[in-house]
Amino acid sequence: MSDIHPDQSTTHRVAGIVTGQPVARRQPVIPGSKDDGTLVEDPGLRAPLVLGDRSFSEVTDIVCSYAEAPLPKIWLAAFTVAASVAGIANVMILYLIITGVGVWGLNNQVDWAWDITNFVFWIGIGHAGTLISAILCLLKQNWRTAVNRAAEAMTIFAVICAGIFPGIHVGRAWMAWFLAPIPNSNGIWPNFRSPLLWDVFAVSTYATVSLLFWYMGMIPDVATLRDRASLRLHKGVSRGFKMPMPIGNGLALHFMPKPDQLRVFIYGVMSLGWRFSSRHWHRYEKAYLMLAGISTPLVLSVHSIVSFDFATSVIPGWHTTIFPPYFVAGAVFGGFAMVLWLLIPLRMVLPNFSDLLTLRHLENMAKIILLTGTMVGFAYAMEFFMAWYGANEYEFAVFANNRVNPAQAPYWWAYWTMIICNVGFPQVFWFRKMRQSPLVIWIVASAVTVGMWFERFVIIVTSIHRAFLPGEWHMFFPTWVDILTFVGSCGIFMTLFLLFLKFLPIFALSELKIVMPQSHTDDHH
Amino acid sequence: MSNLDQCPSTIDKATGSTKSSIAAKDDGVKLGKVSGKKYWRSLEEYTGTQEFTEFVHREFPKGASMLGEATRRNFVKIMGAGFAIAGVAAMPGCRRPDRKILPYSKNVPEDIIPGKALYYTTALPLPGGGVEGLLIETHTGRPTKVEGNPLHPNNQGKTSAFAQASVLGLYDPERLKFPVYNNPTRGKLDATWDDFNAWQKTHFAKFDENQGEGLAFIVDKKSSPSRQRLINAIKARWTKASFTMWNPAESRGAIDGSALAFGSPRFTSYDFSSAQRVVSIGSNFMDEGPEALKNSRTFASTRKVLNSGDSMSRLYAVEAKPSGAGSLADHRYRVAPSEIHNFTIALAKAVFSHTGVNATGLPDATVTGMTPKVIAEIAKDLIDHRNHAVIVPGDDLSPECWALCMAINSSLNAMGNQVTVTPMGADLSGNANEELAALTAQLNAGRIDTLVTLYANPVYDAPGELNFPSAFARAKTTITLNDAMSETEFASTWSLNGTHYLEAWGDAAGADGSLSIIQPMIAPLYEPAHSDIELLSTLAGDEDTDGYTIVRDSWALMGNGSVGSSGFESSWKRTLHDGVKSTQDEGGIGNLSMTKVLMAAARKGANNAPGQGSMDVMFYTSNNNNGQCANNGWLQELPEFGPSVVWDNPILMSPNTAKALGVLPEHSWQDEFNPYTKQQMPQAQKITVTLNGQSMTGAAWILPGMADNTLAVKLGYGREIVGKVGYSVGHNTYAIKPSTTGMTTRGASVKKAGGTYTIASTQNHWSLEGRHSLVRAMDKVWWDKYGNETKVVKDAVYGLEHSTLNAAEMIGELSHTPPNISIYENPMNDSTGDPDPTKLHHNKALDREVPPRYTQGPQWGMSIDMNSCTGCNVCTIACQSENNIPIVGKNEVAKGREMQWIRMDRYFVGDDLNNPDEILLQPVACVHCENAPCETVCPVNATVHGDEGTNDMAYNRCIGTRYCANNCPYKVRRFNFFDYGVVKFNGGLNPNYTSVKADELFEKTVAKDRTFNQNFIPPRLRKKLDEISKMQYNPDVTVRSRGVMEKCSFCIQRIHQARQDVKIEGIWTEDDQVGPIPDGFFNVACQQACPSGAISFGDILDPESQVSKEKESGRSYLLLGYLNTRPRTTYMMRVRNPNPAIRAFEHDPMDHGSHGDHGGGHDTGHDEHNDGHESDGHGETHGAAYIDRAKQYFDQGYSMSLKVLS
Repeated sequence: MSDIHPDQSTTHRVAGIVTGQPVARRQPVIPGSKDDGTLVEDPGLRAPLVLGDRSFSEVTDIVCSYAEAPLPKIWLAAFTVAASVAGIANVMILYLIITGVGVWGLNNQVDWAWDITNFVFWIGIGHAGTLISAILCLLKQNWRTAVNRAAEAMTIFAVICAGIFPGIHVGRAWMAWFLAPIPNSNGIWPNFRSPLLWDVFAVSTYATVSLLFWYMGMIPDVATLRDRASLRLHKGVSRGFKMPMPIGNGLALHFMPKPDQLRVFIYGVMSLGWRFSSRHWHRYEKAYLMLAGISTPLVLSVHSIVSFDFATSVIPGWHTTIFPPYFVAGAVFGGFAMVLWLLIPLRMVLPNFSDLLTLRHLENMAKIILLTGTMVGFAYAMEFFMAWYGANEYEFAVFANNRVNPAQAPYWWAYWTMIICNVGFPQVFWFRKMRQSPLVIWIVASAVTVGMWFERFVIIVTSIHRAFLPGEWHMFFPTWVDILTFVGSCGIFMTLFLLFLKFLPIFALSELKIVMPQSHTDDHH
Repeated sequence: MSNLDQCPSTIDKATGSTKSSIAAKDDGVKLGKVSGKKYWRSLEEYTGTQEFTEFVHREFPKGASMLGEATRRNFVKIMGAGFAIAGVAAMPGCRRPDRKILPYSKNVPEDIIPGKALYYTTALPLPGGGVEGLLIETHTGRPTKVEGNPLHPNNQGKTSAFAQASVLGLYDPERLKFPVYNNPTRGKLDATWDDFNAWQKTHFAKFDENQGEGLAFIVDKKSSPSRQRLINAIKARWTKASFTMWNPAESRGAIDGSALAFGSPRFTSYDFSSAQRVVSIGSNFMDEGPEALKNSRTFASTRKVLNSGDSMSRLYAVEAKPSGAGSLADHRYRVAPSEIHNFTIALAKAVFSHTGVNATGLPDATVTGMTPKVIAEIAKDLIDHRNHAVIVPGDDLSPECWALCMAINSSLNAMGNQVTVTPMGADLSGNANEELAALTAQLNAGRIDTLVTLYANPVYDAPGELNFPSAFARAKTTITLNDAMSETEFASTWSLNGTHYLEAWGDAAGADGSLSIIQPMIAPLYEPAHSDIELLSTLAGDEDTDGYTIVRDSWALMGNGSVGSSGFESSWKRTLHDGVKSTQDEGGIGNLSMTKVLMAAARKGANNAPGQGSMDVMFYTSNNNNGQCANNGWLQELPEFGPSVVWDNPILMSPNTAKALGVLPEHSWQDEFNPYTKQQMPQAQKITVTLNGQSMTGAAWILPGMADNTLAVKLGYGREIVGKVGYSVGHNTYAIKPSTTGMTTRGASVKKAGGTYTIASTQNHWSLEGRHSLVRAMDKVWWDKYGNETKVVKDAVYGLEHSTLNAAEMIGELSHTPPNISIYENPMNDSTGDPDPTKLHHNKALDREVPPRYTQGPQWGMSIDMNSCTGCNVCTIACQSENNIPIVGKNEVAKGREMQWIRMDRYFVGDDLNNPDEILLQPVACVHCENAPCETVCPVNATVHGDEGTNDMAYNRCIGTRYCANNCPYKVRRFNFFDYGVVKFNGGLNPNYTSVKADELFEKTVAKDRTFNQNFIPPRLRKKLDEISKMQYNPDVTVRSRGVMEKCSFCIQRIHQARQDVKIEGIWTEDDQVGPIPDGFFNVACQQACPSGAISFGDILDPESQVSKEKESGRSYLLLGYLNTRPRTTYMMRVRNPNPAIRAFEHDPMDHGSHGDHGGGHDTGHDEHNDGHESDGHGETHGAAYIDRAKQYFDQGYSMSLKVLS
């Protein structure tokens, strides 16, 4: 499997002389059609997962060259914007902690609003990655190889964003360590009956396992990057360090170590002594499978437990047994939407990316969007039905008067935004043309992402702003701090994702190669 | 460092001692600043003289000047010395008054034991006359909490919100601290009392020659025998001096009416305990007036039915603005003030037609909204209950009408039974408006040389048409004594710092003739300061001007023997201890002259109904606050009964009137699709009200249940020289108050002024949304039928007997939900209906067999009687005072972040928001659920259950996830979003600063550190609460930091105190055993204060306790009981007692089959009570029993309520 012996043509690319230049396709797109050849409907034919009739080494080049190329201007621009927005989040968080939770728009009736909405939103986003990696791996869905690495990375970053909010939303953030079961002189333990504590365990477990899974899968590819950098250093073709700024980019900085020297060091540490030996591969495969096995129940448990925050309460609109499956479906739904939302633009920006992430992949994911979107829609309907059928008028009022009816519900627009985005938009995927058009998919993915944020907002705010006693009903309005904190969390997410795109292997090389036709020539052995 | 911990008065004294006189300060004075600016330091600090610098150094321990080069070691040394000195100065005794005051014994020795509160009696004179007897809790010499004196005949241990809040006024850091002299050439100069005394001796000497020509006094109207004695002495010395007894909120109806009816002004006292029929005519007799507390108490005693068939009074209320009486009334009619007059005449005619009094001279009068038949039926009802029926006329009625009401009372035999009259002293009966108008004329004519104002603020609160401020400026010399900053003080030549009533000796006469002594609880915080009697005594030229001596002398003159005699001393001590000396005289019947009254009423004639161009105006004050409490944050943030508005005085009108005028409050969300682009707080329209040629701009706000074409205008707002808290809060409505009529007048016109105004209200939703199971009510006829019935609910699945439902529960949702039975055996045995105390289980922690939880006493519980609650909000403010609850300011309230632990939910019920059928009140605090939803969800165990059934908060453990508050079905938890507890602010950014002038004044007077929202400043940089304000805190209760959740604790500190007391006093016989605490041994703060006794609290396992008796009643129900939260606070269903001749009884509440008008084709044929709850066919009907959908969706009024306020 090791692909470390380059031929003459790739030597140049490896050496960074012709970095990232596309190799002419030997299997062009069907003439006069947008079909790249992967949308074949013949059951006898298996759609190719990697286009362009690539050799193994070419695939390696394509993937590695993204990480090895000088910082592209567009990346630098995007990174600057994202990092600035992330900086806003930091300022907002600092302001919040210094001043008090009152800088948000919360009140004594609506004690959670954007904070927990954002938490559930991000934790939901974080579901797609592990689902793709773990469940699709166990189900031997080979098409996952194109997206699993990016999706896993996205998971990690979304969980990081999610983790911020419960941490900062508490009134005394500096006392948040009370949540940890640390033996202390007060003799007080956390309350193990509280779903919030379950959250702490569930989310931290999930974050840990996802991180391990992602990182472990990356080790062979990081080792490849290390070896290529090392080779360039030996050949003496390494570039010098250049100024990584949008302005003055490319200015040589001779006193800095060469990027390849840094790569050898950093990737060397990260690859944990990976030597591509058969024994390594053997252990790797086993560990990967085990982690996939561990992750699979986590995909289901995390969002179930997050849903318990609401389901175990007594508040109408929260107190609903349908929440665990509904939340999991919603999380997968939102997570896939986010994967698509990120990867479709990348397909356009990055050369050769579309050979690895084909229309077939997009169509498959669109189908999942349609499936989970319909599940979520069904859940909305069932919730409503049960509120009516259960004959609990307090609960029915939450739906009829707090959410649906524009004449009664001040937040009706949030509810209908949710319905249109989450249930309405995905319906276009019943049409084949639609789910094969990257633009349409991207629009739907955007809508779903918005809709899923509103879903959490609707569940949280519209339920508690008017609960049992009309005497305490009160509206919630976000403040600029609310808004900027959320925007800032998007910045944190994008910053991390951009760093990942530039410096880490964004495809799982070994797995890609397994699904390439060359791997199957000697199947009979 | 040192002056922070030190007594302010000590510093003041010390610096004061270095002063000589004003003349000595001529050099280097660069003041020209006003008095309120500074705190305790005095002139020299600003002059920067050598002397002063030296003095500052002397204040610090030796070596203070070394601090600059301090090593750490040195620093610690110096700090230590400093603390020691500060500690000496702050010794608890330093604030004790000099004279002997006697504690109201709760079996504590008369020494100060740190941590142990002492109680002293005193009294609070009410503005306009009357007195409340108080019992003050003091901790190490500082008063912290006001409670009622149980021995006082008027309030019998209860208090008003005004009294509860008065303790905060004592610790107002912006009170006047030293005299200020307004030098004609050099401007304002800080002075001392010695300066003033020297000045006044020469100044007042000239009046000895001209008998006081050109000398005038304005004193606040109250009944103080000592003050009256001194006034008489001054009148004797200077015969031409004039006195004005000023009360800005005076109604003349009762005074002039009684003069008309009985020949001389009388005070009228009511006793409702024997009344069966009561008609309140424009009277808020349970909210305002000297005997409001007594009225609440005696009236509520007629409403406390426990069993079916218990007798109960019937109350008719005819009023223009909803009052406590109106909310309790069985029949409430909203009638404009002009037409209340007509109603009185019509009622009188109807009653007299039965009693044979010739009333043909009375004009024919019609009343909008009331048919003659209704009036006739009321009259008939009264006649049928002659001897037990009483009319309560409001003070705002015309004197003729008021007298007519007494005539009715007379013919109903109420005089002497339910109504007694006592002669009223000249100090109270004078017409304040006329006196002030006369004085104004004198001032304008330039005939007043010296004007002395005592505890009055006429520059602010004189009727606008007098233009009193300019008249005031014409007096050559003005002297003002007041305890707080005021507009009058600001405009005066001499501004003198007076004492608070808790700081000085005094006395007060009650309306019934009882006499109370006002004992100081603490030496004046800003010494030296003088009370009104001390200043009067000084001016009268007395030798000994000490308040103590004055009061004792008065006491002797009132027939208690001569000072020093043994009879005097024992009666004096007795009175000091008891706080009151009751009068022996019973009130009289009065000699009513029927013909005179009828003739006067006939002459007066009937009124026309008000119209849109000529509206009725009723001025009112809330909680006796006519403006003097503007800097008192507790009263500012106390929701007003009705609109629940805080920090403001919008002009109230009925929704239809507002609609007709086009000044409905702006919708908060429906105008625009996107509410986020709109102003997020409720917006009132600005209006201009013109009355008698005077006009003012205010905000229009709606109040359902108001009479149409009537404006209700609250007085006492819009003050400008008052302090940070009250500065420019609301609008000054005295501007349009006429100087000739009382509090009610006619002929106002309203114009839209353009623009909007932010209103903060603690309750934004007015409708019950058809959720009638929350506030349950039943007509008495059904109560008598079902009151003692019970129903046993069986669990069909397990065959267990679930629980017994009483009458109130049968009409609620509990009768419609399946029994909530755990399928698991619960070792704690605390989730099924009634745990069996004999069934022991093993407790691992204790390693022994213990009985189930909550079966061993004491187990605390509360019962709230909604048949007695008048919505007076005293419980809220008593709780605020007891539990150190911060105020949060207008902005934060508008965001829904008020911190008060008790909120008063009020709902307007009926199909027409403009004319609600009923006003329902429900005080809600933490109900202390046994299965508390908050406890299970707290991740850090910060809210846990006590063994005595209280739901406790461990503030130190709370990290503020707020999950508990979200999961609380009652939404009673309060979160400290900011550091409310330790910051003082006026509500943050007040977006409604009204005028440039006000802004300038504000800058010049109180605020360099002008408070925009303090909360947006990080706490470390923020100005902290001053040391004076902190002195108010109850040391038994933690001050919560930001980020912490809080809520009602059932006054856990009082429970603990009681437990200790019981143990010390040996009431518990077994040493290690927790025994019962006798019922009534202690009260929780809200229960203690509640005038109508609507709150009872105690051990629910003690069958003799009041609370368990109430819980046994068929009226008792659980709020949201179907959630199985098992709250310890239960509510007592309201029972209405309507007159069947006027209103048909409501539909049988137990007949769910055809309940309400939601119809829906439900078959009424079968008996719902017995059918299984599993039968799913009846889901809709079951639901409809507790939410009346017809009312929920289809009525116009409610959708308007929704539109108006989020």
